Amino acid sequence: MELRRYIVRRMIQVIIIFFVILTVLFLLFRWAPGDPVSMMVDPDMTQEDAEILIVQLGLDQPIGVQYFIYLKNFFTGHFGFSFHYGEPVVDIIWNRLPNTILLFTTSIILSAFVGVFLGKIASWHKGKKTDSLMTIGALVTHTLFLPWLALILIWVFGYKFGWFPINGMISEEVWLDPEAGFIAKAIDVMYHMVLPLFTLFLIHFGAYLLIMRSSMLETLKEDYILTARAKGLEEKMIRDHHAAPNAALPVVTSVGLSLAFSINGGALTETVFTWPGIGRELVSSVSQNDYPLALACFLMIAGVVLVSNLVVDVLYAYLDPRIRY
Amino acid sequence: MAAKEKYPMLNSFLEGWSIFKQNLLGKIGLVLLIIFALMAVCSYIPPWINPMYNPMTGVDPEITSCTPPSLRHWLGTDFMGRDILSQLLAGARIAFMVGISAAVMSILLGVSIGMTAGYMGRFVDTLLMRLADMIMVMPTLLVVLLLSAVFGQLSIWTIVLIIALFRWPGVSRIIRGQTLSLKQRPFIEAAKVAGASHFRIIFVHIMPNVLPLAFLFMTFRVTSAIITEAALAFLGFGDPGTVSWGMMLQWVWKTGHMFQAPYWLLPPGICISLITLSFYMLGRAMDEVLDPRLRKEDQTD
Amino acid sequence: MALLEVENVSIGYNTKKGYLKAVEGISFTLEEGASLGFVGESGCGKTTIGMALMGLLPPNGSVREGRILFEGKNTLRMSDEEIRKIRWRKMAMIFQAAMNALNPVQRVGNQIAEAILIHDSSVGKEEAMGQVEDLFELVGIPRDRLRDYPHQYSGGMKQRAVIAMALACHPKLIIADEPTTALDVIVQSQILGEIKDLQKEFNLSIIFISHDISIVADMCKDIGVMYAGQLVEFGPRKEVFESPSHPYTKALLSSFPTVTGKKSDLIPIPGETPNLVVPPTGCRFCDRCSGPGPSCKTETPAWVEIGPRHKTLCCRR
Repeated sequence: MELRRYIVRRMIQVIIIFFVILTVLFLLFRWAPGDPVSMMVDPDMTQEDAEILIVQLGLDQPIGVQYFIYLKNFFTGHFGFSFHYGEPVVDIIWNRLPNTILLFTTSIILSAFVGVFLGKIASWHKGKKTDSLMTIGALVTHTLFLPWLALILIWVFGYKFGWFPINGMISEEVWLDPEAGFIAKAIDVMYHMVLPLFTLFLIHFGAYLLIMRSSMLETLKEDYILTARAKGLEEKMIRDHHAAPNAALPVVTSVGLSLAFSINGGALTETVFTWPGIGRELVSSVSQNDYPLALACFLMIAGVVLVSNLVVDVLYAYLDPRIRY
Repeated sequence: MAAKEKYPMLNSFLEGWSIFKQNLLGKIGLVLLIIFALMAVCSYIPPWINPMYNPMTGVDPEITSCTPPSLRHWLGTDFMGRDILSQLLAGARIAFMVGISAAVMSILLGVSIGMTAGYMGRFVDTLLMRLADMIMVMPTLLVVLLLSAVFGQLSIWTIVLIIALFRWPGVSRIIRGQTLSLKQRPFIEAAKVAGASHFRIIFVHIMPNVLPLAFLFMTFRVTSAIITEAALAFLGFGDPGTVSWGMMLQWVWKTGHMFQAPYWLLPPGICISLITLSFYMLGRAMDEVLDPRLRKEDQTD
Repeated sequence: MALLEVENVSIGYNTKKGYLKAVEGISFTLEEGASLGFVGESGCGKTTIGMALMGLLPPNGSVREGRILFEGKNTLRMSDEEIRKIRWRKMAMIFQAAMNALNPVQRVGNQIAEAILIHDSSVGKEEAMGQVEDLFELVGIPRDRLRDYPHQYSGGMKQRAVIAMALACHPKLIIADEPTTALDVIVQSQILGEIKDLQKEFNLSIIFISHDISIVADMCKDIGVMYAGQLVEFGPRKEVFESPSHPYTKALLSSFPTVTGKKSDLIPIPGETPNLVVPPTGCRFCDRCSGPGPSCKTETPAWVEIGPRHKTLCCRR
């Protein structure tokens, strides 16, 4: 089936791009000022540990051999040790990854659905107050500076009103309590997630609203809408069953195109709210010169972006029968 | 060959202006941008009046902490006693500088690559476009972060350059499309017959037709450059010698004055958001100017 | 009582340049089981009439005067609810450019079944699909294509699907607006033949709209020639074809090539269609007429009866 071939083709593309990124990072770290050893090996390590690590990472070998050891290490999940945490980098990454995915995925899905829904309504009331309000609202929220919006939200809702926690993902009391069940813990996480999620949502839904709105206006001019009307369908049915599914397709594409932008926003949000995700880990590891961790974080993020792109493309192919069949 | 045939777009400029004038949002955007530009120009005034107004080093001898707005300091002072208004004006200057330079660089890069890809076709085209695809996927902010980890603190111009290096793919795609359609035009054939080299054809014949289009897309490039620099400064990776709005936010955040000093927290954020908004509105108005022109292009074929 | 009676209908559009009088003072009747064709060049208003009959004029279009009596009731005075009930159930349309008349993200079978389900709440989904299968057989589409999407169909198949959809509720009247324009000649003649068969089988009334007078002459018992928003000649096909009365009709007939005719007989019509925002006084065809009379430019022409059902809008008779 066409779809299967398409997915396979895209997956191969993702793998190739990821390899290119891996290689570029490898070269980058070798060309950087300072020697590779100080980059990858914690200066606070004991001499013996350091030497073991040097051999493992192949830092004593010629560059060609180093590259293959590097690739091998990547596949076996050996990224060295974090300077700051003193733990294997790979453990830290695996610990942080789910948190980022939770926040990131939820925010995109929420923004997309709300944006599509409101954009549909805005197009329906084109020219009237509802439409102007929504369009201007979308425009204004979309251009807000994300870190600043985060700070404002923290100030208003966290500090002044005290409604939501302003940092972290969990409250220790809940998680250390042996009696606390899964539901209590889940609610605790969600409680912490409200502000960061809201920040990301506000920034992103506007773009999807505007795209859906103009897409609907274009779609409503199509011939098959006239056919639907001629068949005697009610306007609401026409709008929701015939126009909207077609109009929503460009929104899916735009989600894919703006993934890099979204990930930037995700990293900023995590940092301001101290949400323990990979974005925040990247920022803090860079400021602490924790190179092994920074490198691995970046790779992981690149991977997340590539995979998300793939998911969005496949979703589009699934939704648009012209591609599927 | 009539000049009109060779440079069709230059002739449509006046028409574009009349379409632009009808767009309310575009006009608001333009007005706001002019205000910001004035701010940037005025940024030289306060230090000239009194060195204590210098955004970076100026310290009011009588004030050593955060103070709310007063007659001496219209927006108050930051935690070191520096005037916030002059910081804000300096930030406007930096924003324009960063935004426009990054935009111009990315456009020139994108135009060159797009024209080459469209004109050369086949292997060169595929290679360049694959490269463009890969770069488009990368989150610029995080790349710059990583690079600053490896190479140490980056100066403002390095940041601008890196931003430009990651922003050209969007431009190049559109320019490539335009080049592909221009390639078929008779005046290109004529140039080839006359023996013009590829280089000459690309840069002397195709470029003037493609450049106006590129500059119209500049508005979006400018905003992303400004935001990227602001985010970098906010995270603490900006050029420590420049006072940008992002830097101001970093200071208010990191020194823990967020909750007590709204006069410090609000202005820089409002400025960044507002300048982004105005460029965006300008860009949308430009889109309207752009589309009918493109349609006319098809009709003259 | 005739199925459809159109009395002195005028339709216009509000445009930036002013009010465009697209259709002016049209009157005609259509009996059950009869077929009528409207022929004219683009912009003459023939599609506008079709749209007005179905109540599908765009928001800037309106019927300024006249009545449209369908089964005795004036559709122009009906509420939205009532019109929706008539649409498709009694009066269906086969659109120009059927290429885009089908929703690309829905299966063809479902779209046709939708028409059935809307108008008959007693029918279930299964039964509706069964009916669609029968319709497909009727128009000559293989049953296994039911679950396909529109882009998987060829041009001719899409047209057949659109015809099947129009027949779904067994309407009394079908308005076919240039149904074969986008198809190649062979498929075109197949489809036209099928439409004729279907008409006989179900005793349908058809209004056929086309710019091609040869198609209309082939398909319809009566022909209406339109020019610049007005009906300039109306009558049984034999009479209009063999003894055209209006100069435009004559010019139209002689500007179409025939396989057997002489090459030198082709005469194009000089000039351009008039501006319909500010239409000329007097006869609208005057500027292009081969033999205008003294009063043609000043007097509005009136209907002249030539035969029992043949009339023409010309000053010179």
